[in-house]
Amino acid sequence: MFEFSPANQKRIPEILAKYPDTQSALLPLLTMAQRQEGYVAPQAMVEIGKILKLSPGYVQSVASFYTMYHMHPTGKYIILFCINISCQLNGADELLAYTASKLNIKVGETTADKKFTLHREECLAACSNAPMMRINDTYHEDLSKEKIDKILDSLD
Amino acid sequence: MPELKLLTKDIDKKDLHKLSVYEETGGYGSLKKLFKKKPDEVIEMVKASGLRGRGGAGFPAGLKWSFLAKDVFPRYLCCNADESEPGTCKDRLLLEKTPHLLIEGMIACAYACKIETGYIYFRGEFQHASDLMDEALKEARAKNYLGKNIMGSGFDFEIHTHLGAGAYICGEESALLNSLEGRRGEPRLKPPFPAVEGLYSKPTVINNVETLCVVPYIINEGPEKYASYGTEKSKGSKLVSVSGHVKKPGNYEIEMGTTVRELIYELAGGIRNDNKLKAYIPGGSSTPMLPADLVDTPYDYESLAAAGSMLGSGALIVIDDQVNIVESTLRLASFYKHESCGKCTPCREGTRWMWQLLDGIHNGEGTNQQVDKLVDICDNISFKSFCPLGDAAVGPVASSIKYFREDYEALLKRNAEGTA
Amino acid sequence: MANDEVTLTIDGKTVTAPKGTMVVDAAKRVGIEIPVFCYHEKLGPFGCCRMCLVEVEKMPKMATACTLAVAPDMVVKTNTEKVEKAQKGVLEFTLLNHPLDCPVCDKGGECPLQENTFKFGSDDTRMEFNRAHQDKATPLSPVITIDRERCIACQRCTRYSDIIEQEQALVMLNRGFNNEVGTFDNQDYDTKFSGNVIDICPVGALTNTDFRFKARNWELKTADTLCAHCACNCNMTFSSRLNKFMRIQTRTNDHVDDGWICDKARFGYSFVESKNRILEARSRFNDEERVLETKDAIALTAQTLKKIADEHGPESIGLIGSPYATNEEAYLYQLMFRQGLKTNNIDHKAYEDLPGLPINHYDFEQVESSNLVLLIGSDPSEELPILDLRIRKAVTRKGVKLAFLNDQVTALDRFAETALRYDVGSDGDAIVALAGGLAEELGIEKGKGKGKGKEKEKSKNSCGIADKDMKALVELVRTSMKICVIYNPAALSAGSMVKLRQLLQTIGKIPTVECGAIPAAPATNALGAVDMGLLPSYYPGGLALTDADEIKKRFGEDSPLQAGLSAMDMIAKAESGELKALLVHRSNPVADFPGGERVASALKKLEFLAVHDMLETETTRLASVVLPSIGPGYDEGTTTNIGARVQYRKRGLVSESLADWQIISKMAGELGIERNYQSSFSITAEIAEKVRGYEDISKKTIKNEGLSRQAIPEVLGDLDGSVSDESKSKKGALRLRVASYLFANDKILDANTSLAHHFRSSTVHLNDKDAKKMKLEEGDAVTVSSAHGKVSATVAVGDRCNSGSVVIEKVSDEQGVSALQESAGISWVEISKE
Ligand SMILES: Cc1cc2nc3c(=O)[nH]c(=O)nc-3n(C[C@H](O)[C@H](O)[C@H](O)COP(=O)(O)O)c2cc1C
Ligand code: SF4
Ligand code: FES
Repeated sequence: MFEFSPANQKRIPEILAKYPDTQSALLPLLTMAQRQEGYVAPQAMVEIGKILKLSPGYVQSVASFYTMYHMHPTGKYIILFCINISCQLNGADELLAYTASKLNIKVGETTADKKFTLHREECLAACSNAPMMRINDTYHEDLSKEKIDKILDSLD
Repeated sequence: MPELKLLTKDIDKKDLHKLSVYEETGGYGSLKKLFKKKPDEVIEMVKASGLRGRGGAGFPAGLKWSFLAKDVFPRYLCCNADESEPGTCKDRLLLEKTPHLLIEGMIACAYACKIETGYIYFRGEFQHASDLMDEALKEARAKNYLGKNIMGSGFDFEIHTHLGAGAYICGEESALLNSLEGRRGEPRLKPPFPAVEGLYSKPTVINNVETLCVVPYIINEGPEKYASYGTEKSKGSKLVSVSGHVKKPGNYEIEMGTTVRELIYELAGGIRNDNKLKAYIPGGSSTPMLPADLVDTPYDYESLAAAGSMLGSGALIVIDDQVNIVESTLRLASFYKHESCGKCTPCREGTRWMWQLLDGIHNGEGTNQQVDKLVDICDNISFKSFCPLGDAAVGPVASSIKYFREDYEALLKRNAEGTA
Repeated sequence: MANDEVTLTIDGKTVTAPKGTMVVDAAKRVGIEIPVFCYHEKLGPFGCCRMCLVEVEKMPKMATACTLAVAPDMVVKTNTEKVEKAQKGVLEFTLLNHPLDCPVCDKGGECPLQENTFKFGSDDTRMEFNRAHQDKATPLSPVITIDRERCIACQRCTRYSDIIEQEQALVMLNRGFNNEVGTFDNQDYDTKFSGNVIDICPVGALTNTDFRFKARNWELKTADTLCAHCACNCNMTFSSRLNKFMRIQTRTNDHVDDGWICDKARFGYSFVESKNRILEARSRFNDEERVLETKDAIALTAQTLKKIADEHGPESIGLIGSPYATNEEAYLYQLMFRQGLKTNNIDHKAYEDLPGLPINHYDFEQVESSNLVLLIGSDPSEELPILDLRIRKAVTRKGVKLAFLNDQVTALDRFAETALRYDVGSDGDAIVALAGGLAEELGIEKGKGKGKGKEKEKSKNSCGIADKDMKALVELVRTSMKICVIYNPAALSAGSMVKLRQLLQTIGKIPTVECGAIPAAPATNALGAVDMGLLPSYYPGGLALTDADEIKKRFGEDSPLQAGLSAMDMIAKAESGELKALLVHRSNPVADFPGGERVASALKKLEFLAVHDMLETETTRLASVVLPSIGPGYDEGTTTNIGARVQYRKRGLVSESLADWQIISKMAGELGIERNYQSSFSITAEIAEKVRGYEDISKKTIKNEGLSRQAIPEVLGDLDGSVSDESKSKKGALRLRVASYLFANDKILDANTSLAHHFRSSTVHLNDKDAKKMKLEEGDAVTVSSAHGKVSATVAVGDRCNSGSVVIEKVSDEQGVSALQESAGISWVEISKE
């Protein structure tokens, strides 16, 4: 079973009020569900479908189009490491490999302690501060090995 | 110095994102002038300024506004803050540093186009920018820059933020509309164009963040002033994200027509380790790359088009001679394969096939015929896909073969058929 | 030339097409084929496959002909070098990851991809990598197989699920190259209309599980025929091989089905080869059963009926005809009983119905062009699926409003502007309230009859609908421009049919409203049965017994004119011993008529019961003589759908046995009615001559698309059927509504059907309030009992009906729900926990 937390329940009408058509709230509600649970479970899609009067299939169809929705539980910190051109030109591949070996996982995996999930990511609009990674909502730019060490060590 | 700071003059001011600081710099000053004019006059001003869309296509902003279906209401304004084109990071700068400038620009556009509701569509990763914007909107509402009867003008306008969730294609305007309506971010058939049937099937203006941020300047200083900068057809200033192998990467606001050489060597401090320039991608990953000998091309719509590329979203990616171009091309091909929405056949299948071929070539398993085949595949995708993403995917591949075939040849199989 | 026509040039040819036509369709008009994959006329332009690229003068880029509407003076070129290169290129992309398994693919031979490759592609592949692999054939549902490798992502199927069936059950998942067709959480795709995706898939990705590997398409023999399940009479193609049933596919007829069929039509035809088929005639007297030659059974039946009629008078025998039979069979049977046996004891149903209509008889296309569709007692989703689909189209794509006056919630309610629910059994009051409200608004005289004023007062409060809601409905009706009323006679209580007719008359009097109705009784040829005079008080063509001159003129001087008995009355008289002999044609009163076991015991009292049917039933088991009926699949003849369209049902398989019309005409011959019919069409010709409304119907006029019959003049005459004697309510008892369920496990969908996954168990739907009062919860096992019978069921709690009422769907013959029903009036039931 999935239910929105009372605080999130309260936000639903606020979100709906932004739009003349309730379906527009689909992405915001999926995002809210993911923030609450860490991922978007089938039950959450059913629940959102009920709220917005959409078939669960439709909800999944939309959710699966967007790469930011995780359909399975992830680590506490999701590291999105940009490897697109500007970052690549500035050594992102090597830093990504460094990060993976530091975390002792392969790209795409989650650490055994469920703390970190590491993904290769496309351009995140920080090109003039390449290389960069995004950890949850925070951008970390102008990366170097030392900087990565410091950032990862500071997270608990 | 070729810098021309029309939008970014105060960008480094501390706490510019706060309303009080923004007002100190003269922020929201354009509104008094705005509300003295008739909506149509505002459109005429924007037309006269020569302002062209900064999101990629360079379509004249005032003209776009004048295309709205007559007498159909409500109408919507969507600000395109999806900024997903590799190499581009100028909108994020504006959004995070000066959100009120965008709000001010959106008010002007909405007033001119008789729009009461606006949305800012942020790419999903811009949570921080969107949070800042929500704060800014709250402040603006509190001072009646937004809401009912703005500053006693009788004009009502409200702005909402909306976050995507990870899809480059949602920067394409019709895919953006689908995404905002809670659908898969697949592009829509055109016609009807958004100006006729856009958001919720109503007439809709879609403009890039930077485009809208220019509007307060035009209202404040007059269109003539804006048009006095730049070239004949590319007016004003342009915010350019410079990245790659330069010493001082960053966002530089320049006068249109400044040369690429000036951008690289004066503003961005030259190539790292003083290496030689090999190639540059002038306007974001979708625009064809150009070789070093075209470094004196002026940075404006026409000159870059004449050189065989595009100004695009204004993202200059600089590549030095230490790189085999196939490597960069492969990376971009992988990006387009990842971002193709999958709706149309040439783009869905073609981007993957190009990537497969490039990957093989990059691994030393390619043949000369495969390089020719890549050229033909590019031709089969170009202008045949549903939306311009397919054409965008072709840009780097076709141009890299055109200018750097020797990089390909260096990687081809050295066995008999390979060299045949 | 009308100014909504556009003239353009395609490959040098001048084409004229209506505004809004897509270039692909315009090209077809002059024989130019532009290849397509994603485009499908019923789904509208989409433009994703890019197969249809053409050059258009003055356009810088090539355009997709499927999304480009014709424009005046447009110049299109479909055969330039540039176009050919584009077509080759797109095909190459399309085939890039498509397996080359045509030899084993069951789309082989009828595959647009194969055909387009042949015509427009190049011979060899330039793909040097391994094609992407996916699981081969996996079940998408028990009846549909998906082979994702073959999918070309044209989105026809998913758009169908979205736009046409309005379910969004089959969807595109993921993005880009990982796009795939699927369902939520890998659940079955099992909507009522799922099978249509098989027909529209342009490759072999979606296939009919039952048909897979049975035959190659070029080995098939096909018949353009009609579905014989419900009263929509959808068009379909029936394929066989070596006289074995192979598959069913859609055959578009916009007047009727709009190009679609429901899953019952497609997958519910295994009955043609059912083990329960009656293949031989037999008799059973004094518990001794004997197989008979059909001709002997015919003679025996005719002679016995004649003998009893002679002995006890013509009122001692009767016919329960079939609403499933063809017009020809129905016509012949009533002829045999009226002219050969001189009785009007003829009926085909357990409810009241009347021929003709006081307003226009609308067809399915009028549903789309109306601006209000008012459903009364009708549940198209379970009873008339393709009408349901048409209503969905009307509401979602044509801006038509939908209103309900019903005693239960239906699947269509979510599309309705307003859905008013009356208490079970209060349909008459609700109808009178609506008619009264309209009459009042209009200041016109209400339908004739006395005491109406008082009745109106009463009904407003007694039907369970709040006055203000009824007022709103009155307003909705009054302010509409064009109304289509769809009512189900089978769901109305005794006495309501006359009230309904009066309502229709009242609506007809609103000066600003154009209106028509569709009498939506669910059985295959329910309207044909009425038209053909399978009624105790009406001759064919709606001729009332009072119209003696006309009857004599058309049917002979000695036509019987005394009123006959309705089916329910015949059963009552059988019980009392007054009715001695009965012939039942393709009908199963024991399981289907109210009363259940009571019907059986009444039939057992008959001296002679002849049953002419296709499958063994509870009724055939009681018969003295059983005559084999070949039934749909093997039979031929016309049927009249509820939209009054007369169409031809062709045979798909050949039967060795006599056709029903042959059996009936031989029986009639035994009774002195000598005709020399050469084929069923000879009877059709006689119908055209004798039956009002059918004058234009002939073999010629109805082929392919059928033809609407003419209006049958309405006579607001006597009602068929006994007058309701309201059975007394008991304290704590609830009113029972037996609802339809499309995939009921009955004689037609037996245990061998591939649709068995749709079978449901017996459920009683209670209103929340009643459930609370009775301390019952969702899932509780209960016994539902009436004065006459008991049914076990599981409780479902919700708002399917008003409090004080319960709904039980008829989910199988075993369930025995008709035993709970009264023959007239309200059926009261009590519920106790098991
Ligand atoms: C694949 C694709 C991606 C795009 N991405 C963006 C984007 O991230 N931001 C943007 O402003 N415009 C983007 N565009 C351009 C928009 O479609 C549209 O032209 C623009 O938002 C219009 O605003 P403008 O006239 O102010 O430039 C993209 C176009 C395509 C085809
Ligand atoms: S399964 Fe068939 S109809 Fe559906 S998208 Fe694939 S090819 Fe098209
Ligand atoms: S048929 Fe025209 S794009 Fe598919």
